[in-house]
Amino acid sequence: MAHQHHITPLSIYLTIAATLLFLSGVTVWVSYVDLGAMNIVIAMLIATTKATLVVLFFMHLLWDDKKLLTIFVMSLMFLGIFITITLLDTEFRGGVNPEVKDSINKRAAFYDSLPLTDTHGNPVDEHGSSHHEEDEDHH
Amino acid sequence: MIENQKNYLTYPKGIMSWLLTLDHKRIGLMYLFGGLAFFFLGGLLALGMRLELAAPGNDFMSNDTYNNVYTLHGAIMVFLFIIPAIPGALGNILLPLMLGAKDVAFPRLNLASFYLYTLGALFTIYTIIAGGVDTGWTFYTPYSTTSTSNVIPMTMGIFIIGFSSILTGLNFIATIHKMRIPGLTWYKLPLFVWALYGTSLVQITATPVIAITMVLLILERLLGIGIFDPALGGDPVLYQHFFWFYSHPAVYIMILPAFGIVSEIIPVHSRKKIWGYKFIAFSTLSIAFIGFLVWGHHMFTSGQSVFSQIVFSFITYFVGIPTGVKIFSWILTMYRGQVSFTPPMLYALSFLFLFTIGGLTGIFLGAVALDIHLHDTYFVVAHFHYVMQGGTIVAFLGGLHHWWPKSMGTMYNQTVANICCLGVFLGFNGTFFPQFLLGLRGMPRRYATYDPQYADLHNYSSFWSAILGLSIFIAIMNLLWSLRKNNKLDPGTNPWGAMTLEWTHTTSPPHPHNFEEEPVLEHGPYDYDKVIVEPTFKK
Ligand code: HEM
Ligand SMILES: [Cu+2]
Repeated sequence: MAHQHHITPLSIYLTIAATLLFLSGVTVWVSYVDLGAMNIVIAMLIATTKATLVVLFFMHLLWDDKKLLTIFVMSLMFLGIFITITLLDTEFRGGVNPEVKDSINKRAAFYDSLPLTDTHGNPVDEHGSSHHEEDEDHH
Repeated sequence: MIENQKNYLTYPKGIMSWLLTLDHKRIGLMYLFGGLAFFFLGGLLALGMRLELAAPGNDFMSNDTYNNVYTLHGAIMVFLFIIPAIPGALGNILLPLMLGAKDVAFPRLNLASFYLYTLGALFTIYTIIAGGVDTGWTFYTPYSTTSTSNVIPMTMGIFIIGFSSILTGLNFIATIHKMRIPGLTWYKLPLFVWALYGTSLVQITATPVIAITMVLLILERLLGIGIFDPALGGDPVLYQHFFWFYSHPAVYIMILPAFGIVSEIIPVHSRKKIWGYKFIAFSTLSIAFIGFLVWGHHMFTSGQSVFSQIVFSFITYFVGIPTGVKIFSWILTMYRGQVSFTPPMLYALSFLFLFTIGGLTGIFLGAVALDIHLHDTYFVVAHFHYVMQGGTIVAFLGGLHHWWPKSMGTMYNQTVANICCLGVFLGFNGTFFPQFLLGLRGMPRRYATYDPQYADLHNYSSFWSAILGLSIFIAIMNLLWSLRKNNKLDPGTNPWGAMTLEWTHTTSPPHPHNFEEEPVLEHGPYDYDKVIVEPTFKK
C-alpha cells in the first residue's frame, strides 16, 4: 500500500481555526438563549462539530487510511446507540408507576429550596397541582 | 538434538529476560500464570461461600463477611481471570503463530498491557488486605456511593485493567490486519483468529465505558457530583445503564474466545473440515454487534420505562440466532467425523452441552414477564455460571489441554486429564443445576442464610462444588506435573494432527522468533478433506 503524505495548505488550517473560534462564540451566545430541552442538544451538536473538524483536518483523518475514519465514525455510532437507548428509558418512564413519570429533578430534595414548577417551568402550588390549564394530564 | 534446540522457554535466560520480554509467547505465559493464580483465589472464595450455604444458618461466616466474599469472588473471576486471561494468555501465545508472524504488531505495548494488568491486580490485592468490598461485583448505586468498604481501590483496579484490555484489543486488531503472511486471506484464517478479532472490537468499543463508569462512581464518592444522586438531580438507574452498556458486551469478551477455541478443537479432533466456516466467522461479528443493543435485559426490575423493557426484551431474542448457528455448525462438523475422545475434545463436548443450557436459560431471562420473577434469584446465578464457567472456563481448560504440548513441549497424563474432565462435568452440573430449581422456588441471590425449605438443594450443591473444585485443581496440577524433568516431547510433535501454522510450521515449544523462516501457506486451516496430516507423538 503506497502511503502518500498529504500536505495541507495553510489556508485550510486558518479557515478551520476561524470556524472553531466562531463556533466557540456561538456556544457562548447560545448559552444565554433558553431553548428548554434543546439546550443540551444544541451544545452537544456544536461541540461534536468542533471535535469532528479537529479530527478531520488537524489530525488528518480525512486524508488518512479510510479504515481509521471508519473507526472514528463507529465510535460516534456507539455513543449514539448508548445515548438514544438510554433516553428510551428516561424519557418514557411512568408506564407502570405513574409516580416515576415526572422528571426526577422535580421531586428531588435539592429542588425543595427552589420555587416549585412543573416540567414546563410553570409555577405550581404546594400540592403539586399546576396553575397552567393545558397541564391537566397528571396521573 | 533436543538439548541444543533453541526455544522461547529456555532462550534467552534469566529472570529479567522474562520480566522485560517483548516475546508474545512469554507475555502470554505470564498472563496465564497470573490468571490461574487469581482463578485459584476466586475458587477458594467460592468454596468458602458454598461451605457457608451448606446449611441454613450463619454457621461459617457472618453476613458482612459473606458480602465481602461474594463481591471479591465475582470481581476477581470476571475482571482478573476470565476477561484478561483468555485473550491475554491463549490469544497472545497463539495469534502471531496462527498468522505466521514473528510477533504482535506492537510488542512493547503488549508488555505495557501486561503491566497495567499487574497494577490493577495490585489494587485488588490491596482491597483484600484493607478489608474487602461488599457491594457485589456490579457496584450498583446508591449503595456503592455510601458503603464504607473499599469501593475506590477496587473500582480503581478495574479502571486500570480496562486500559490493559483496550490496549490488547488494539494490538490484536492491528496484528490481524497487518501481520498475516502473504496468501493468508481473511477466509483462510483459523476461526480462533476471527474470534479474537470480534473480541478485540468489543474490547476497544465497550471498555472505555466501564472506565468512565468507574470514574463517575469514584467522583460521586469523593466529591458528591450527584450524577447518580436524585437529591442532586441525578439518577441511580443511570449507573445501571452505564454499567451494563459495558458489561453485557463484556460477556461476549468472555465467550467469543471460548467459541474460537471450540471451533479449533472440534475439527481437529473429529478429523473433519469445519462445517459452515463463513457462518461461524460472521456470527461472531454479529454477536459482537447485537451485544451492544441488549444491556437493558439486566434492568427489568430497575424501574426503567416499559418502552425500554419491550425493546430490550425483543432485541435479546436475536442473540439466540447467531449463537444457534454456531452450535449447529459444530454439531455438523462432528457428524460422520472420526471423533476421538482426547481431553481437549471431552472439554469441547462438555462445552457444547453446558453452554447450550446456559444460552437457552438466557433466553428465558430475556422474557420480561419471566424475569420479573427470576431476577436476582439463584436462577440467574445458575444461568451465568452455565455460560461463564460451563462455557468459557470449560473451553479455556480444553484450549489449555489442546495447546499445552505446543506451548510447553510436554504431554500431560491423558487418562488423568480425561477423568478430571468428567469430574468437572459432573461436579459442575451437580453444583449449578440445583440452583436453577432454587431460583425457580424463589431463593434470592447474595444472602448468607436462607429458609430451611431450601436446605436440601443447597446442601447438594455444596457437596458437588467440592468435587468440581477438586477436579479443576487436579486437572491443572496434572498439566504442571508434565513440566517435570526428562519429560520433553520431540520438537516435531503434532499430537493431534492439527493443520494450522502453529502446529505445521514450527517446533513445540516454538522457536524464540516463532518460525525459522517465514512460513509458506500450503493449505487452509481445516482442509482435512484435501490433505492428510498424521498425528505424531514422540518422546
Ligand atoms: C445466549 C445468550 C444469552 C442471553 C439471551 C442472556 C440473557 C441474560 C439475561 C436476560 C440476564 C439477566 C437476568 C437477571 O438479572 O434477571 C442475564 C444475566 C447474566 N448473564 Fe446472560 N445471557 C446470554 C449469554 C450469556 C453469556 C455468554 C454470558 C457470559 C459468558 C452471560 C453472563 C451473564 C451474567 C454474568 C449475568 C448476571 C449478571 C449479574 O446480575 O450479576 N450471559 N443473561
Ligand atoms: Cu446481558
